[in-house]
Parts: sequence; structure tokens; C-alpha cells
Amino acid sequence: MNAQTQAPTTSRPPAATGAPRMTEALVSAITAETGIATFRTKSPRRIEGTVQADALHSFAAALRSRVGFEHLSAISCVDWIAEGEFELVYHFWSYRDSHLVSARVRIPREPGSMATITDLWLPASFFERDIHEFYGVVFQGNTDLERYILSDWKGPPPMRKDFSSRDFAHEHFTFKDYEPTWDELIDGGYHGQKRQGEGSDE
Amino acid sequence: MAEKELTQRTAWDKVLANLRKRSLWMLHYCTGCGAVELPPTMTSRFDMERFGIMPMVTPRQADILLITGYLSVKTLKRVILIYEQMVAPKYVVGFGSCTINGGMYWNSYTTIKALDRYLPVEMYLAGCMPRPEAIISGFNSLIDKIGKGEANSWKDYYENYEFYKKNQDHVFGDIETHHDVPADGRYFGILEAKR
Ligand code: SF4
Repeated sequence: MNAQTQAPTTSRPPAATGAPRMTEALVSAITAETGIATFRTKSPRRIEGTVQADALHSFAAALRSRVGFEHLSAISCVDWIAEGEFELVYHFWSYRDSHLVSARVRIPREPGSMATITDLWLPASFFERDIHEFYGVVFQGNTDLERYILSDWKGPPPMRKDFSSRDFAHEHFTFKDYEPTWDELIDGGYHGQKRQGEGSDE
Repeated sequence: MAEKELTQRTAWDKVLANLRKRSLWMLHYCTGCGAVELPPTMTSRFDMERFGIMPMVTPRQADILLITGYLSVKTLKRVILIYEQMVAPKYVVGFGSCTINGGMYWNSYTTIKALDRYLPVEMYLAGCMPRPEAIISGFNSLIDKIGKGEANSWKDYYENYEFYKKNQDHVFGDIETHHDVPADGRYFGILEAKR
């Protein structure tokens, strides 16, 4: 494939080819090229650090083009409800070095808002949609935050820590008409306490 | 045909039921983990085909709809679409405790808790997951039921369609299946023919 037919985002950055580098060399390359000095070796072939929310986009762009981490493996989200924050974890992979870089970003829970990186990695849209529907984080600039897995969902984002799956299930679904006692063995029994006056889909 | 007594079995009904019970084609909807017990049931070790039960790839030619485990709201919608495409008489078999009461997903926000609220279930196979012996024995009792003309829960879908539709609408908002269920009911002589 020649250079004209390739979209800019699919061409391999020069830093992504060459001999594999050692972990220490990668950590110093990340610090030098992105200007963010929080990255440390976490375990063999894993590097981890924190990035400010507004710096993540430029960090990811530099990590891709100048350090050579050309693959976005995943974006995950953690709800730190006591601190009122979401933590987004971006995982980047380098085929050249077989190393994983995890960048942790904290954003306030209300409003959960973050800049998209779909302009750098189009497949990031899947992760962003996923996090949007499960945590309610809005990715600014992502034009496709449609429902993805929960296509018929009308409740609140279900992976938030303040969402009670059990309460929702008991409000929303009707169980069989019998009184199970096995759940008392688990945590004191839900049915025994809540049985009266529920079952709205009858 | 319309004025025929439905409760009374004619000799022809008995012949038909005996033929029908030995030739059951099964559409197995394998969303749940219990589906892993089906390959041994179908293949040479347990060989369900000796009872005349054979896997079928399309709902339009299937008699049994086997729901092998948990159904999320999203998959339930597909199951209803599949069920309505099947030609009666049809038998829904709930397979595994998830279809009975939610099983180990009893507190999940997205799986339904009792399949019989959304589709007329002919028979449940309990277990998490039911072993091939249990499946074979369950199917044997289904065969007996069909032979005796007692496997009639599919008629309930026409008779009590409002109940099923209400529960379906409750989880989906409003579901449009593009299938005229009451017309089917009239065709089978279950609902009174209205013009
Ligand atoms: S009943 Fe058990 S084996 Fe079957 S789908 Fe549910 S959890 Fe899986």
C-alpha cells in the first residue's frame, strides 16, 4: 500500500517499528516524549501512570506517534464513589516492544465528561459507547454514543456503584410465587424483608 | 372445523398425536451455559435422535423451542420473535434453573426471572445445568404428554395473549413483532373466528 491511499490514522508511526526496547528505556522515552513523568514499571512488561484529564488526548497522540504505542487495547472505568470520581484507564499496546501502558485518568463523577480519542483511534468508539451506557460518562466529540449492549435499557447506568442491581431486579421483574429460603444463607434474605408490595410487572 | 369440540379428542387426533410425538424437531436457543450439555445429548453417547428428536435450524420447521438458560431482556426479544414464527403445535422447554426463577442471575438487572411470564412454557428441565440423562428423561415425559394430547400450553399463548403481551411490554416498553397472534389463534380454532 502506498502513502497516498492510506488514511493518516492507519499508517504506522516510525517509532512503532525497530528493535524491541527494554522497560526502563520505554519509561524514559514516555517521560521524554510526552512530558508526563508519572509512569513507572508496574510488573514485567507493564507500565502505569496517571495523566490529567485535559492532557490525556495529547498524551495519547504523543504515545502513539513518538513512542510507538499504536494499539489501543481497551478503555476501562472504575467508579470511586466515595471520592466522587470516575477513573478511566486507557490501555495502550506496543507491538514493537510487547509492552502495555496503562494511563489512569480521574474525572469528577458529576458531570462525568471526558474528551474523546476517536480521532486518534476510531475503535475507541466501542469502549466509549460501552462506558457511556454503563457509567453515564459523556465523551465530548464522540458523535455515536448510541446504546450498544443494553439496547432496551431504560434505567440508570447500571455499573455505577450507587445502582443496586438487586433492588432494580426486584422492582422490575416478577419472581416466581414462592418463598425461597436459600437466600437467607447468603446475606440474611432479601425475599423475607422485601416480599410485600413488590412485583410491578404483574 | 370451527365448531369442533376442542376438548374432545377424535380418533384422528390420537393418531396424529402418536405420529407427532415420534418426530420432534428442536430449535435450541443456546444463550445459556447449560447448552454445553446438548452436544453429548445429541451425539452418539446419548443420541436423542433415537427418540425422534432432531436439531432443526429454522424456527419455521421446529416443534420444540429449547431455551437453554438465562435470557437477558435483549435476547428475550429475539426469542419471542422466533417463537411467533414457529408453526403450532409448538412446545417451549425451559432448560436450567435460570429459566425457572433466574437461577444464579436472580439479582441481575438484565435477565428475566421467569420465562413463563413471556412465553407459554410446556415443561421445565430443572438443574444448573441439567445433565443429558435429565434432558432425555424430560424429553421422554414431553413425548408422553404429546402422545396423550396434554401438551397444550401453546394454546395458552392465544387464549391469554394479553397476559403475555403485557409482560413483554413491561420489559421492552412496546414490542412490535409484526406477527398477528390473534389471527393465528383464529386459524387454529382456538379463538372464535371473528370477521
Ligand atoms: S441454569 Fe445454570 S447452567 Fe443453565 S444457564 Fe443458568 S447458570 Fe448456566
